[in-house]
Amino acid sequence: MRRTTAVTGVTALGMLMLAACNGGPGATNKAGGGPGQAAASGGTVHVLATADFSHLDPGLGWDGGVNNFYRLIYRGLTTFGAGAGAKGTKVVPDLATDLGTPSDDAKTWTYHLKDGEKFENGAPIDSAAVKFGIERAWDPEMGGSPYPRLLIDAPADYKGPYQSGDLKSIETPDAKTVVFHLKKSFPDFASALTMPNFTPFPKGTGAGHAFDTKPIASGPYKVASYVHGASLKLVRNPEWDKSTDDIRAAKPDGFQWTFGLDGATIDERMLAGQGTDADAITGTIQAATVSRIQTPQLKARTLTGLTGCTTYLSMNTTRKNLDNVKVRQAIEYAVNKDTTVAALGGSQLAAKATAIQPPTMLGRKDYDPYPYSLDKARQLLAEAGLSSGFSLTLDARPVAAQTAVAVAVQESLKPLGIKVKINNIDTSTFYEVIATPAKQHDMALTGWCPDWASGATFLPPLFDGRNITSTANNNLAQLNNAGVNQQIDRIAGMKDVAAANTAYGDLDQQIMAQAPIVPLDYDKVVTVTGSNIAGAYLSNSYSGGIDLVSVGLKDAGK
Amino acid sequence: MARYISGRIAGLVLILFMVCLFTYLIFFELSPDPALMICGKTCTPDRVDQIRSSLGLDKPFLVQFWDFISGLFVGRDYGSGANLVHCGAPCLGYSFQTSQPVWQMVTERLPVTATVAVGAAVLWLLLGIAAGLISAVKEGSWWDRTMMGLALGGASIPNYVLALALQYILVVKLQILPFPSAVSFFDDPVMWFESYLMPWIVLATGYACLYARLTRANVIDTLAENFMRTARSKGLPPALTMRRHALRPALTPVTTIFGMDFAALLGGALITETVFGLNGVGKMAADSIAKNDQPVIMAVTLLAAFFVVVGNLVVDLVYTWLDPRVRIR
Repeated sequence: MRRTTAVTGVTALGMLMLAACNGGPGATNKAGGGPGQAAASGGTVHVLATADFSHLDPGLGWDGGVNNFYRLIYRGLTTFGAGAGAKGTKVVPDLATDLGTPSDDAKTWTYHLKDGEKFENGAPIDSAAVKFGIERAWDPEMGGSPYPRLLIDAPADYKGPYQSGDLKSIETPDAKTVVFHLKKSFPDFASALTMPNFTPFPKGTGAGHAFDTKPIASGPYKVASYVHGASLKLVRNPEWDKSTDDIRAAKPDGFQWTFGLDGATIDERMLAGQGTDADAITGTIQAATVSRIQTPQLKARTLTGLTGCTTYLSMNTTRKNLDNVKVRQAIEYAVNKDTTVAALGGSQLAAKATAIQPPTMLGRKDYDPYPYSLDKARQLLAEAGLSSGFSLTLDARPVAAQTAVAVAVQESLKPLGIKVKINNIDTSTFYEVIATPAKQHDMALTGWCPDWASGATFLPPLFDGRNITSTANNNLAQLNNAGVNQQIDRIAGMKDVAAANTAYGDLDQQIMAQAPIVPLDYDKVVTVTGSNIAGAYLSNSYSGGIDLVSVGLKDAGK
Repeated sequence: MARYISGRIAGLVLILFMVCLFTYLIFFELSPDPALMICGKTCTPDRVDQIRSSLGLDKPFLVQFWDFISGLFVGRDYGSGANLVHCGAPCLGYSFQTSQPVWQMVTERLPVTATVAVGAAVLWLLLGIAAGLISAVKEGSWWDRTMMGLALGGASIPNYVLALALQYILVVKLQILPFPSAVSFFDDPVMWFESYLMPWIVLATGYACLYARLTRANVIDTLAENFMRTARSKGLPPALTMRRHALRPALTPVTTIFGMDFAALLGGALITETVFGLNGVGKMAADSIAKNDQPVIMAVTLLAAFFVVVGNLVVDLVYTWLDPRVRIR
């Protein structure tokens, strides 16, 4: 028994890493005639995956991988554009005719639905369906993004449509019009509506997690069969009308997922490309496989880009020594990011980070506040009276890549006399432990991915000092800086979304002056597509996964 | 005999109950909060409490444990109101991550695991016992030394190394076999056989090697017994002494080991299933551990314990038939 258990642990960790990676990032492939060329209509795209989707119910699932999948079967009022680079982070209307009309200081938002939009069962997608779908977010058994509950004005005891019925703050004056009343002014509401738990559903459906097994589709495809952990087949949804949808090319006739494959096996299959594997796509490949992509044929089938996530080292500003900004800045200067990037699999899988926000973010400012310098680090430590060094505890996960980064940090700080003790926390409880201020130590190795490409979903969640909670705390540095808090409020009040995003770029720099975290790297994706795949690019809004609404086959008759 | 069996079954129930209690206690005390996992990355303490109460996670340990045990026999309900989900008996729990009753998840995957286990067992019994017998009869010959050398080597190769090496050679390089997938026998028998062949070989290799060594040692011991000398001195032909007198006592210990090994395999061949992407019980166990899906981990632990305990009972009963000396009166 014991031997089996030990081995299981190792396997499980490996899979967890793969699952985490599979969510994947986004960028551009300019190779003509490769996977980027225009897709033909018809055929079936195969997807090889290590792990099943978290949930088919958009009220429960919420990660880069599954959000990308949701777009094939679900539509929302708004969504992200379809295209490489900045196109993929631009918010565009989907079911709605436009991005909404704000009134009452952007506290009230009005949307109109296009004509001819239907669910797979033929029922019209009307305002009641939009309202009902969003109300589901308040159900106590729903997970998903916090945005419906965070933004829309609801009574404190409202528990969703199944238990509490109607939510007064979402009005439906007619079948084509929906009016939202928000808690406070939120000019970027159109972006929040891209989140999966704003998906419409026919009124009264979906109780008891029914959609996790049998979703009701509003997008170009519907679920034909689904075996949890094994396979998922999508076929065309005949009720979907292309003329109402400018985003989804939806070229193939179907999609076929195979879940639960070993990561190394997937890589072998993608490289070999036999049979239907020529029509297959997958998530990011394993670090060990990256070096095998050498021939021009393989390179032409490879897509690389950013995940849109930042891996960082948080420094708990409430702990002894780390409460001194000079000490934190010394650590910023001393961490050698070449070694942390190498630990994460090298420059193909990680790019050195300088600013907090990765390059996929709108309004991001590119700057390097702490270029590597041991001299400056020593000088700052001397000013803090700690030339002889001190000891720190770093919380990390006992997973190969994470341990390698932890050791790289440990080695980087050695010359300063800072002794880093690596505290391994089991992967399954890691986030729970570090998000509990009473349990976290001096530093932690973690990461963040934004919900959409605005600093609003990156900086305030991590650095707003008024959001430090006793559990489920995301402000790991426990930074509570009056200047930063004020600036967060000021930007939240800005009516011009583009100007607000630029202001977040400046806020990024303002926060880094306080040195609450060391941005280590911007995660990257490397994926290999089948030789018959076309229309493929990595989406900056779906953790760098191949945008499923555009991918198809070169030759659908093969 | 009836009394013996009923006594053993009572013991079996007690053991399974203890396994239940301890696994439940371990997961109750040590595992992360499932409510937090549902709640996701931006979650308020209020929301966590709400989810906990909805799932019944705020009840005391004994109440939750009682709900679990009674659910095994009479089924139980999860959630409340419109979200109420009924989990019929035998309710092994409900996975909030896949929104499925665990019993359904297990029964969906058991055929794959059973196919892997039975096929591998046939292979390793045939190869292991045959090689062991021949080695014993030709003790000290080049055949014996080669086979035992191979057996030692084979038993030393870790499953996943053999799996990946075989896959690379047979599938990627030589293209003799397809990449394994859980094809149904009824859909395509040829494809079914080709798909399961590699998992069978991988799983059988380690066991066959151990069984060959075990069989050889037992047969050599038996051949040196007094009754064998008597049989030979009576002038019985060697083949007959072997078949009639040597095999039965020599193979009884193999039966014992086989019962345990096979029963353990029914609880899931974790590595083999995972490497080949076969969605059996073992793969499900590995996935559940990675995702921290406690109800499923619980169920797989219980299932494995159940098979081992039952396998033990069956072995003991078979033993009394094979070896009259331990027969119970």
